[in-house]
Amino acid sequence: MSFQATVQSAQGVVTFRLSGELDSRSAPRFHEMITQAVLPAARRLVLQMADLSYMSSAGLRCLVYAHQRAGSGVAIELVGTRPEVAETIRLTGFDRSLTMLEAGARP
Amino acid sequence: MRNTDRFRLFGDHGMGAVVADLVDTIAGMGRLSRRQAYRLRLAADEITTNIAEHGYHGRRGVVDIEGGVDDDWAWLHIQDNAPPFDPRGHCPGGVPETMHEGGYGLFIAFTGIDHFAYDYFDGRNRNTLLVRRPADAPDGGTDDRHRAAGR
Repeated sequence: MSFQATVQSAQGVVTFRLSGELDSRSAPRFHEMITQAVLPAARRLVLQMADLSYMSSAGLRCLVYAHQRAGSGVAIELVGTRPEVAETIRLTGFDRSLTMLEAGARP
Repeated sequence: MRNTDRFRLFGDHGMGAVVADLVDTIAGMGRLSRRQAYRLRLAADEITTNIAEHGYHGRRGVVDIEGGVDDDWAWLHIQDNAPPFDPRGHCPGGVPETMHEGGYGLFIAFTGIDHFAYDYFDGRNRNTLLVRRPADAPDGGTDDRHRAAGR
């Protein structure tokens, strides 16, 4: 399944909605979206992950890039992450740098 | 019983889908759990991506991937003609300090499967990935519950 991503920004909250498979082929596109959308004014990043079925280390690096670009004071929330994807994030310890929420916890 | 399925890839970023299809087939043959199938796909994806990016430095190159099952294991052999490269020597013992070292993918690959082996023979790198089959998994056949390597 191909990777799809949308982004919207309102009142300092940047929300990405991801679907499909985020791997080494699709990661550069998402990386560019992060560069364009995550600006210093961002207060919070929300990633809707429920429809993301696969994520390799290339995708994980995108999440780390978003975290670095936003800055340490900006909260990052992953919503509805599937168990297999969440396991990859936890494996690397990056889950300690963000908040993982159940689906529906954020609009 | 030994089933195999084999593809020859030309190393570039498009091979991820072929890897996923092969792992789906092997997972079905070996009746792997969804989690096992996902982790085997992830490991194979990371190994082949590493070959394409670092073995061939982004240039095209042959990557052979072959998989099968035996009584106890589901396995993949991934072979390439790039210069000798043992991934085990490039994977940190723990979680890498930064995401830019390139070792993160290999760390994920090694952590997600039950056994990894490497050898260099006849001018080729060969990576062997093993996942132990569930104890109650009979040979052969496919089951949609198991064809779930992230699809």
